[in-house]
Amino acid sequence: MTSIISLTDVSKHYRRGRESVAVLNGFNLDIFEGDFVAIMGPSGSGKTSLLNLIGGLDVPTSGSINVAGERIDRLSRAALARWRSRHVGFVFQFYNLMPTLSAERNVEIPLLLTSVPYAERKRKVSAALDLVGLSERHKHKPNELSGGQQQRVAIARALIADPTILVCDEPTGDLDRHSAEEILELLQVLNRQYGKTVVMVTHDPRAAEYATRQLHVDKGQLSDSRLGTAA
Amino acid sequence: MKFLPLIWSGIWRKPGRTILTLMQVIVAFALFGVLQGMKTGVDQAIADARADVLHVTPTAFGGAPLPRAYIERLKSIPGIETVGFADVLAGTYQKPSQFVYVVAIENSNKWLTLIPEVIHVGPNDLDALRKTRTGVLVSADMAKEYGWRIGDRIPLTSTTLQSNGAETWTFDIVGTFTARGTEQGTFMVGNYDYLDEARAINKGTVRHFYAVVADPKQAAVVTEAIDNTFANSSNETRTVSFKEYAQQQMQSIGDLDFAIRSIVSAVLVALLFSVASMMMQTTRERTPELAVLKTLGFSDQAVFLLLIGEAVVTCIAGAIIGLGLAMGAFPYAAKFVPGLSMPMVVIGVGVIGSVLIALLTASAPALRASKLEIVDALAGR
Repeated sequence: MTSIISLTDVSKHYRRGRESVAVLNGFNLDIFEGDFVAIMGPSGSGKTSLLNLIGGLDVPTSGSINVAGERIDRLSRAALARWRSRHVGFVFQFYNLMPTLSAERNVEIPLLLTSVPYAERKRKVSAALDLVGLSERHKHKPNELSGGQQQRVAIARALIADPTILVCDEPTGDLDRHSAEEILELLQVLNRQYGKTVVMVTHDPRAAEYATRQLHVDKGQLSDSRLGTAA
Repeated sequence: MKFLPLIWSGIWRKPGRTILTLMQVIVAFALFGVLQGMKTGVDQAIADARADVLHVTPTAFGGAPLPRAYIERLKSIPGIETVGFADVLAGTYQKPSQFVYVVAIENSNKWLTLIPEVIHVGPNDLDALRKTRTGVLVSADMAKEYGWRIGDRIPLTSTTLQSNGAETWTFDIVGTFTARGTEQGTFMVGNYDYLDEARAINKGTVRHFYAVVADPKQAAVVTEAIDNTFANSSNETRTVSFKEYAQQQMQSIGDLDFAIRSIVSAVLVALLFSVASMMMQTTRERTPELAVLKTLGFSDQAVFLLLIGEAVVTCIAGAIIGLGLAMGAFPYAAKFVPGLSMPMVVIGVGVIGSVLIALLTASAPALRASKLEIVDALAGR
C-alpha cells in the first residue's frame, strides 16, 4: 500500500506567553491511499493540531510531513496555499460557509483558484451538489439550509477540486444523530466508491466506527491504532 | 471577473453599513463633481471670453451717458477694427416684478457678427428689425415665458419717459435672436433709432460701445488709448475687455479656486477616514471567513486583492453615481450660472480619485487580513 500521508518525528510547540507548550512530540504516522482514518482522543490531546499539520494549515516545529508526494513542511506560505487548493478538501465542524453566497457559489469557491472556465465550473458544481443530494437547493443561502444540509454543501465544496485527501474536523459535532449518520455515510461513500482518503477528527466513537482505521492520540503521542469496524 | 460574485457578496455582507458608506461616497463625489465642474465652467468661461472685444461705458456706473458721436473718435483710434453701440431701455411687462430690458442696437449689419456672445442674430431677423421702427427680436426663453409669438404687439412700462410724457412703450415682435454666452431670458433686441427719437431726455447718447480690436494682444494698449482719448472730458470712459470683465466678475466673489480646493479636500479627507473605518471593521468581523478562504487555498495576495477589490468597487460605484448626480444637476445650475459644465476630465479625475481612496483606505486592513494565521483565525484567537 502507498503511504499518502507520512509524518516523521513531528513536534509542534505553541507559545503561550513566555511558556512553550508541546502539543505533539516526536509524532510518527503513516496513512495510506484510500484510508478512512478517524483520529480520536481527549480534548487537548493534539488531534486538531495533527489535522492542521496534515492539511497544511500549520507547520511543524520540527520533523517532516510528506503528503501526496510533497514535503509540505518545507513549502513557503504561497506554495502551501497552492498545494492546499490542489490536494486537500476541508470539512469543518461549523461548516464555515460564506453566509452571503448561495450553496452553488460556496461550492464554486475552490474552482475560482483554477483556470477552469465558467461553463465547466457550473457543470462541476452541479455534479458535486448532485453527489451530496442538494441539487434542488443550489440557490439557497446557508441560513436557508439545515445543519446537515450546510455540512453537505461544505462537503461538496471540499470535493469540487477533486482533492487527494479529505480533512474533516469534527464534521458531525454540530449535527443531530440522524444528520450525523447521513454525513458519515456520505463520507464513507466518498471513501469507498470514489477512493478518497479521509482523515477525520472526532470525539464520537459511533462516528469513528465508519472509519477503516481508528487512531487514538493522547498527550501528543499516538497511543493506539486499530482497524475500524468498517474496515 | 470570476471573483466578482465573491467581492460582491463581501460588499453586501452588512447591507446597512454598505449603503451608508456608499451614500457617503456618493455625496462626496457629487460635491466634488459640482465644485470641480463649477471651477472648470468658470475657467472655461474666462478662457472663452473674448480679449478682442472692448466694452466702453461711462466711468461712473449710472453716470451721464456717452455722446453717440464718440463712435467716430473710437473708430479713429489705432488698432480698432469695428465699433458698434447699444443702449438699454429698462421696463416691466404687465407686472412691476416682470423686468424686461430692450437692448437697442444701431441700424447696422455689423451686428450679424459683432458680439455673438451677447447678440447673435440672423440676416432675416436683422432685416425685419431694420424695416420696423418699433420692432423687437425676442429670445426663445422669453417668448416661452410670456407666450409671445412673432406679430404680437407688447407694451412695456418704463421710467424712461417718451417725449410725449408716456411711460408705456409699444413694441412689435418681428423675429428672434440668440446669445451664445449670456442669459437670454430677460432682454430683447430693439432699434436704437426708435429709442433715441422717442425718449424725452438723453437724446443722442449711448451707454455701451463695443470696440473690436484687430489684434487681441494689443487689447490692453488700445484700452488705455481709448480711456486716454476721453480723459478730462465731461464724459470720461471706462474700458474693459470681455475677458478682463469675466475675470473681475470671478474675483468679486472671492478666491473661488481656493474655496473649492478647500471644500473638496475636506470632504475627501473625511471620506478617507470613513471608508478606512468601514474597511477595518469589516475585515475584523470577517476574520473567520477570510481564514476559510485561505484554508481553501487563497494566497495572502489573493485575500489582499479581494479586500482591495471590495473597496475599489464600492468607491468607484459611489463615485460614478455621485458624479452622475452632479452631471444631472448641471443643466439646471447652468440656467443660473451660464457656462457651467462638467467636462470628461472631471469624471476621469473623480474615478481615479475614487480608486486612490479605495487603495489608501483598504491597504492596511487588507494587508493585515492577508497575513492572518489560519489556525489562530479559525480558533477565534
